[in-house]
Amino acid sequence: MKKTSCFSINRKKHQVLLIMKIIFTIIILSINLGFASNGFSQNDRLSVNMKQKSVREVFATLEKSSGYRFFYNDAFTYLDKLVNVDAEKESLNQILDGIFKQTDFEYKILENKLVVVSLKEDLLQAKYKVSGNVTDQDGQGMFGITVAIKGTQKAVLTDVKGNYSVDLTDKNSTLVFSYIGFLRQEHKLTGESTVNIMMQPLIKSLDEVIVVGYGTRKKSDVTGAITSISSQSLKDVPAANLSQALQGQGAGIDIQKSNGNSKPGQAPDILIRGTRSIKAGNSPLVVVDGIPFDGNINDFNVDDIASVEVLKDASSTAIYGSRGANGVILVTTKRGSLGIRKPIITYSGYTGFNKNLGEFPMMNGEQFALLKKWAYYIGKPGTYTGINDPKIMTDAFYPDEQQGLATGHGTDWQKLIYKTGITTNHQIGVSGGTDATQYAISGGYYNETGIYYGQSFKRYSLKFSFDQQLTKFLKVGISSLNTFAITNGEDSQNSASGSYKVEQALKANPLSSPYDTTGALRNSFVSGITTRVWNPLADLIDGAVIENRKRLGSFTTFYLEANIFNGLKYKLNAGAQLQSDVYGNFYASKTTINLGSLSSANNQTRTNSDYTLENILTYDKIIANKHKINFTGLFSFEDNVKASNSFGYSGLLSDNSQYFNPSLGSNLNGTGSRAEYALLSYMARVNYSYNDKYLLTLAMRTDASSRLADGNQYHTFPSVAVAWNINKESFLSNSNVFSYLKLRTSYGSVGNTSISPYQTLGLLSSLVYNYGTTTTTGLYPTGAPNPTLGWEYTSTANAGLDFGLFKNRISGSIELYHAYTNNMILPQSLPATSGIPNSILTNTGKSENKGIEIHISTVNIQSTEKNGITWTSDFNFFINRGQITQLNPTLATTYNGKPADIGNKWFVGQPIGSIYDYQKIGIWQATSADTLAAKGLGLTTTGTGSVIGQIRVADRNKNGKIDAGDMYIVGSPQPKWEGGTTQRVAYMNFDFTVVAAARIGGVITSSLFDGGTNALQGIYNNVNIDYWTPNNPTNEWPKPNSAQTSAVYGSTLTYFDASFLKIRSLSLGYNMPQSLMKSTGMKSMRIYATVSDPFILFSPYRDKYHGIDPETSGTLNVDSPATWSMIFGVNITL
Amino acid sequence: MKKICSISAILFTCLLIISGCTDKLKENPQSSLTPGFFATPQGFQSGLDAAYAGMRNLWGSQNFFTLTCLGTDEFSTGRDGNNDISKYNSNYIPTNKYSTGVWEPCYTFINTCNGLIDNASKITSIDTVTRNKMVAEARFLRANYYFVLVQFWGDVTLNKHFQSLPTTSATRDPQAEVYKFIIQDLNYAIAKLPASPFTSGLLPGKANAAAARHLLSKVYLTRAGSSAKDPNDYQNAYDIATALIANKATLGLNLLQDFGKINAEGNESNTEVLWTIQHTTNLTYNGTNDLCYLFVPVYQNMPGMQRDILNQRSYDRAMPTRWLTDTVFRDKTNDTRYSKIFQTVWYCNNAASIPKWPNPVPAGVNPALAGKPKFVLGDTACYMPGVDVTDAKIASTRYSLIPPRKYTISMYPAMNKYFDTKRSDMMVTSNRPVIVWTLDETYLIAAEAAFMTGKITEAVSNINIIRERAAYPTGNAAAMDIQPSDLSLDFILDERSRELCGQMIRDWDLARTGQMQSRIVKHNSDARLNFVVPKHLLRPIPQSQIDAVTTGTPYPQNPGWF
Repeated sequence: MKKTSCFSINRKKHQVLLIMKIIFTIIILSINLGFASNGFSQNDRLSVNMKQKSVREVFATLEKSSGYRFFYNDAFTYLDKLVNVDAEKESLNQILDGIFKQTDFEYKILENKLVVVSLKEDLLQAKYKVSGNVTDQDGQGMFGITVAIKGTQKAVLTDVKGNYSVDLTDKNSTLVFSYIGFLRQEHKLTGESTVNIMMQPLIKSLDEVIVVGYGTRKKSDVTGAITSISSQSLKDVPAANLSQALQGQGAGIDIQKSNGNSKPGQAPDILIRGTRSIKAGNSPLVVVDGIPFDGNINDFNVDDIASVEVLKDASSTAIYGSRGANGVILVTTKRGSLGIRKPIITYSGYTGFNKNLGEFPMMNGEQFALLKKWAYYIGKPGTYTGINDPKIMTDAFYPDEQQGLATGHGTDWQKLIYKTGITTNHQIGVSGGTDATQYAISGGYYNETGIYYGQSFKRYSLKFSFDQQLTKFLKVGISSLNTFAITNGEDSQNSASGSYKVEQALKANPLSSPYDTTGALRNSFVSGITTRVWNPLADLIDGAVIENRKRLGSFTTFYLEANIFNGLKYKLNAGAQLQSDVYGNFYASKTTINLGSLSSANNQTRTNSDYTLENILTYDKIIANKHKINFTGLFSFEDNVKASNSFGYSGLLSDNSQYFNPSLGSNLNGTGSRAEYALLSYMARVNYSYNDKYLLTLAMRTDASSRLADGNQYHTFPSVAVAWNINKESFLSNSNVFSYLKLRTSYGSVGNTSISPYQTLGLLSSLVYNYGTTTTTGLYPTGAPNPTLGWEYTSTANAGLDFGLFKNRISGSIELYHAYTNNMILPQSLPATSGIPNSILTNTGKSENKGIEIHISTVNIQSTEKNGITWTSDFNFFINRGQITQLNPTLATTYNGKPADIGNKWFVGQPIGSIYDYQKIGIWQATSADTLAAKGLGLTTTGTGSVIGQIRVADRNKNGKIDAGDMYIVGSPQPKWEGGTTQRVAYMNFDFTVVAAARIGGVITSSLFDGGTNALQGIYNNVNIDYWTPNNPTNEWPKPNSAQTSAVYGSTLTYFDASFLKIRSLSLGYNMPQSLMKSTGMKSMRIYATVSDPFILFSPYRDKYHGIDPETSGTLNVDSPATWSMIFGVNITL
Repeated sequence: MKKICSISAILFTCLLIISGCTDKLKENPQSSLTPGFFATPQGFQSGLDAAYAGMRNLWGSQNFFTLTCLGTDEFSTGRDGNNDISKYNSNYIPTNKYSTGVWEPCYTFINTCNGLIDNASKITSIDTVTRNKMVAEARFLRANYYFVLVQFWGDVTLNKHFQSLPTTSATRDPQAEVYKFIIQDLNYAIAKLPASPFTSGLLPGKANAAAARHLLSKVYLTRAGSSAKDPNDYQNAYDIATALIANKATLGLNLLQDFGKINAEGNESNTEVLWTIQHTTNLTYNGTNDLCYLFVPVYQNMPGMQRDILNQRSYDRAMPTRWLTDTVFRDKTNDTRYSKIFQTVWYCNNAASIPKWPNPVPAGVNPALAGKPKFVLGDTACYMPGVDVTDAKIASTRYSLIPPRKYTISMYPAMNKYFDTKRSDMMVTSNRPVIVWTLDETYLIAAEAAFMTGKITEAVSNINIIRERAAYPTGNAAAMDIQPSDLSLDFILDERSRELCGQMIRDWDLARTGQMQSRIVKHNSDARLNFVVPKHLLRPIPQSQIDAVTTGTPYPQNPGWF
């Protein structure tokens, strides 16, 4: 029997009832208990022959051969003493007498085959009494902590409230507090009678129970690739939302800002083990308390989360069949704890500020004026004698600009639009419970304002959970997460101008002033040669721009658990999710959005309702002590309905009416939609383990999705996994090096249908027309039906090695995987001649992802003193390589000799999302050689369209002309490798945490360097680049040209090395000493300061091209820039 | 026992749930419609409405305008105009958005028309006459779409039937086949459609036989100039045009007395207009019509001026060539057309920017005026006399006097055929219907067809009808007449410019008559630098089309393009 198992009893629910019965005995005896039985009786004879074995091992042998159970305090050093036992048909008493001779110990054999080992009575004679309370970091009393007296064999355990009381013979003794998974603490007594201790978690324990799909397992019993993230890790770096909190926490989890978007309330994109699908979605499935969550990840208050597990391989995710292909994130929320306790009240709060991490590198007035002169000189060949021709001044520059240039009063628009944002977070929680009832309630408030005016995200959350034991075999529980979130200033890309509000400000003429001569705001176009940029400050006028989203979300799960008979359990798990999302916007006439045209308003309402019903049957059986079997059977059904409608109107009678009443405007337009899908699933899983050494998991799931074509709705996803706990083998059991070693391998198949409903049916779109005053709405075919659309599924082979070295001072895991995606659901663009303008979804082709993930945790310095230095590190490193391996076999086109669908930019042998463009090899120079070469390619070398000074692209196919065949794969967003590290140092009551992340390789597309902000036309302000002029024959950037709205082949200027190394956070915390706490009545209090995203240590995009932050999933938009923030917080437990 | 009850209850619940769930796997889209709807009467009507609405992607769009008007002998590129396609330089490549933007909607709405025509027989609840009339409308529209395609691209894919299933292969059919198909459609349409736009009860913008007859004569005339020509094409074109002209009285059609009224704002359904693409002041149903902006120079930069709705929003895309303003419209006395379709004077609307006389004043100006404003609100701020004046005269004129030699790509006479001064707002798109086919062109088609078949007298008489009308009200009509000796293909093309310039047909006129290269090189100072034959005679097949044909034979590009 494992001696440590009792120390973790409060974590193992299925032993709870049993344990409760014997708690009393444990406390009295101050020893460690377990329980089992077989047929041996006290008078039977045993033969034991052991040489130089520890007392522990002797006990273990005796337990096996006698069937008696031994109970003793694990902290007794005597247990490690080596002894010889040479018994030939002796009774148990005889053998034990031999062992305990001349020790401080005695034993008692109890009736129910228990052997209790304890200190001799006379040693327990005490002179002093010391008592106190042991708590965890949240201030919750910890049960089962060993409190030993250093240098003696004496020790006691804490009770369920964490209280202990120990009798001493020497008042200057040292108390040693220990518990597996926690830092051992010593306390030298100086005569005090009360010692309260807060335990600090050490590294993750292998006995930790982690959540797997439809159940929990001990970490050592897990067969799949799972990254487990505790609430402690989540707490290290306070984050606005879950995905931000997971950033850099695990290997294989790639979290990037969506399109570089840093606005408040914007959740980053999560990618687990790369991109495998083109259309069916790459976002992982989020499962909260067992129920798939179909909502906004921003709705979580991170404080409500107890733990997060990320399932990565097919064996772990196959039980989520249909949607597991992109990984599964299991979120377990906090619930009330078992035990007799008074309520625990917690408060956590922080406040701080955020600022932009930099400014976009735009030109100042002087630089822009020079660009403009060149643009005119080059764009109107023969018109001007040079850039200093006074005619340029009068032709190209408005009086206002001329004045700005003369006085040197340029405008740095960015300075005017950015501000400092403020973040505030408060969370109060109460939890408690009895044996039968547990509850937890928490309320939170989060408010963040952005760095651009009008941007904010506010969230009110209320969570409660309630668990009740109804009868001996029936338990029910409910948990509900409720959120009301308000997002302001989303600033989605403006359809009229195609740009964001910040981009408008970047394009604004730096020679113009936002104010007139009287100092009043000019509510008009920014003066300049063009009338296309409205004064960006006009958007900041109160009530001019309203963008308001109110989201009300409720996610409630309910379970009923029945212990039918020994080991057989039934669980009904039901979840309901309701969300309503109301979005309204209003733009006054005089804004960058409407440019003086009619004011406009839009109102959208979206509702999302989802329910899931799961019937789960589990059966646990241990046969002959060695064969552990766990069976799980599942039937589940999910139904999801999303409905929305939207109406827009313009020409409002009063700006004050905002978006609230369309009858106060005209030109009303409306749309609506309703989409429903259903998913029906059956699953069976068997876990088998032999002697805790050999583990096997078999799972099979069948899913039916309404979103697929008739006849292709059902698919079965099998999986198998085996694992070997090598450290349990005899050849390693005495190893000083390996404290843990496990080899795992799995293979399985997972599906993906994250597509919108009704894709298989074809579509008619509507459009409007009129015959005179008769108005009408027409319908025309835009989508073709695909009557054969079926499942996209991914088969993954995974091999993993988990290890713990030197008593787990170094631990970690290595994963290797290879995932094959079949029947990829691809959106295929059809030729216009097909008559179908929309792309259609087809099952075409295959892709694969392979990679390696390494995670290492080390305890670099472990203090044995309470106030010593402890330094721990986590490292993760991962590589993923994805590629398309097969496309439609009838495909006639190729790239590099391999099939390629050029229209859709899919290339066999290349990652999904590859960038396909011309190859910029420089700038056409004004030399006779270049002119000749350009003419040879049929390029224009005179007039406004002359290529001289323009981007020179390579004639890669050497056919003497620049044609579509010259395009090539520039790269892909896929990085070479990614990694992260978390370093934690604790000293005295201080702790310091640094999280760093690196993403090396890959290509980003930055729209800052294309079109709008890099037009080089001399109309809009431009990125400050070293452009080509006849005097500056650079090969980097092309010439300005007033006759051109953007550079030809300008897209080739937008590709940059995506690499970065950044500090995600720096955090310094201080735990108030227990002595101070007592007087305040608080159990614990921690104060901290955290800086998020403070430095980008390395980034070619930032260092060389003065971009702000290369971190993005998808194109890096010209949007509100990246931010850094600093917060100050406090956590209190009462 | 209690346990057994509970277990049974649970199992029973499970069974109930499973049986109810499988029904949910059947999809029922309630907020969208699927192609099956086309086979219902409502679907048929709405499909036809969409086929009409699809035309807004052509007439009224900047794409179509760019392809037909710019880079011709009539118009070159304004300052904000496209510098690639309109100048035929090497930046004009098969990914060009203007040509792609015309190619794609044509095929989308041809498929819509095909869906209607193929499904018609299934709709029995509509009476045969009405149904045939609706099919005729669809065929008239389909003929228009194909006529656009064949003129720009030559051989094109000919889809005769509805394609509801996705396809990734396509071939190009000989243009002879396409023309044949267009002619069949138009003959059917002529037989079944209401006779005239003025047929009682016919809604504005609806297809009618008169428009179809005009179009058919134009199709014959165009085919005659193509490689698919048939020996009878000119004769057919002449006969059909002449017959339409002869029937004009019974159809309620007639030439207007005043040329200036054809394109006058608010007068889009005059007796000379055969067919229009509709727009409305009801912005919800209006769609996009950008034409009012495109021919407008940056007048607001002139002293004393600012942007206003009367003078339009200046997109500055199309600058008339000097050949158009100076040569084609050389006669500005008897021929009143130039003055009616070009804005050459702007009246001061901005007190803040009224210029002051310098000190000392230029020669010929009263010295007392030194430092005084040159003019006041409402006075002429800018004038283009159309003839040269001396620099001294310019200096001593109180308003900006701009002779032709001073035209720039930002300031030139503005063609006003599409001006829309009644929009609710400067930024709002035009709500004027776009005139597509007009009766004056029928005369010019007849004249051209007659000329090509040697019927010089008939050609001259048709042209003279148009020219005499152009003298109204101040010119000498008789002096407008031409003699057979004056007639040439060049003259016909010049006359078409005088009558129809800017009406989104010029590119085809030049292609049909084989004069594209010669006239662009002669008259368009931008485009002449780069125009190459045969490459620029046809538009490039959009790269997206070539790339998306992934099965079967690769989709062929036009000659010279790569």
